[in-house]
Amino acid sequence: MPASKRERLRDTAVPWLLPAAILLGWQAAVSAGLVSNRFMPAPLDVARAGWEAGRTGELWTNLGVSTLRALAGFVVGGGIGFALGLANGLSRLSERLTDTSVQMVRNVPHLSLIPLVILWFGIGEEAKLFLVALGVFFPIYANTLHGIRSVDPGLVEMGRVYGMSRTELFARVVLPGALPSIFVGLRYALGIMWLTLIVAETISASSGLGYMAMQAREFMLVDVVVLAILIYAALGKLADALTRQLERACLAWNPAYRSA
Amino acid sequence: MLLDAVRREALPDAETASRQAGAAARPRAPAEPGQHGIAVTVRDLHKSFDGHTVIEGLNLFLPAGGFTAVVGRSGCGKSTLLRLILGLEAPTGGRIDLDGTAGSPRRSEPPRRIMFQEPRLLPWARVVDNVAVGLSGQGSRAERRERARAALAEVGLSDKAGQWPATLSGGQRQRVALARALVSRPGLLALDEPLGALDALTRIDMQDLIERIWLAQGFTALLVTHDVAEAVALADRILVVEAGRIALDLRVDVPRPRRRGDPDLARLEGRILDHLLGAPKAA
Repeated sequence: MPASKRERLRDTAVPWLLPAAILLGWQAAVSAGLVSNRFMPAPLDVARAGWEAGRTGELWTNLGVSTLRALAGFVVGGGIGFALGLANGLSRLSERLTDTSVQMVRNVPHLSLIPLVILWFGIGEEAKLFLVALGVFFPIYANTLHGIRSVDPGLVEMGRVYGMSRTELFARVVLPGALPSIFVGLRYALGIMWLTLIVAETISASSGLGYMAMQAREFMLVDVVVLAILIYAALGKLADALTRQLERACLAWNPAYRSA
Repeated sequence: MLLDAVRREALPDAETASRQAGAAARPRAPAEPGQHGIAVTVRDLHKSFDGHTVIEGLNLFLPAGGFTAVVGRSGCGKSTLLRLILGLEAPTGGRIDLDGTAGSPRRSEPPRRIMFQEPRLLPWARVVDNVAVGLSGQGSRAERRERARAALAEVGLSDKAGQWPATLSGGQRQRVALARALVSRPGLLALDEPLGALDALTRIDMQDLIERIWLAQGFTALLVTHDVAEAVALADRILVVEAGRIALDLRVDVPRPRRRGDPDLARLEGRILDHLLGAPKAA
């Protein structure tokens, strides 16, 4: 139907109006000479820098390196956080044994470990992996634990009375019940993942997006610096959109997540 | 097969007639070969929580296939009694025997099922899969679904099989919960104030539905309720529990189907209410 199609188009377009307006205003301000090109390059210059970096392949190499680091750290840290969150949510003993320690470590800002990490690992891949994994661990851990804790005990009792085995109870009642909370943790973790990686790459790396931005600063290539920042924004948005899609697929039963 | 027989219009007249004529002759014959209610014997049952006694020396026999209602003020121990019989709580003293369970292999024992006050459906499972939860550990997934669909037809919700529970009304959810309780052909169905949260008309529909299915399947039914009218409308026998003991044990010899507002039922209801209101409060 044309009416609903138009509506759909409008729904997709509206969120992008503001970013587009900002870009236009920015371009206009630089072209009119209101802002010095030396401090803030025009969006077209940034696009040109992006085209250039893409043509030489430098951009793709760095993007690939950064993505790989981010994902590796995410898998390691998220995996450990998820496993420990499950263990502590399901077993009192495990929680009593580990939760206090985890809470203590959690209150240390993980980026404050950078000097120590450089001492330990130099500027190699291990340093980045360690920092990203550490940053991603906590939101996944805390939200998995919280999700399992907040599963309706009435449903668990029902599952027991209806003869579910322990595995069935976990797979059919506890895990699906914890999923909305786990997704909250996932979205937090994705944000922290990029943040940690960029900081780590800016300070100590010989490749990656953060390194590319730092190199550009050395040579006063402002357009490349801005390019790197815009790529972070795009990557963040991409990660968020993917999570939303996943949420919508996994939580279709929940009226709050049904597609708008 | 049995599914068709559940519809009221399809109920064999002869059976209805014989029930009306021989209302006192219980337990009734099983509705299906190999399908029978579980008889429950409770001897000198005690239960206390943290030194606070809830059930104190209770004796009770529930014949197989009977419909018994337990009424009482809140806190009298009626829900605890039901949870003890279902095995959800361990008794502090005394014993509960279920016939046919001693010595027989666990597999063949007809299950005991409970319907809670809230539907307790899994929000993340489709209606048909929620009903199939009642068959946990039995048969293949396709078989379970097949039987779940049949049970949904019994409660009149065939068309909702593929929906999420969130899209159903309160009454429909409780019907799904009933289908889940019945899909495994239980020998004992415990109903823990299952209609308490429903509106008056939906409630009457549900009472009729429960009565119809009970007549067709012949399980032992144990209904805990604070609604005396509901107890009188459904049960063969009403137990009034007070301070952890049975204070009153009444037969309801009114033929079925029972008409709402029947003077015999009203008289009985009045008698029970007088007893409850005149009785000293449960400690």
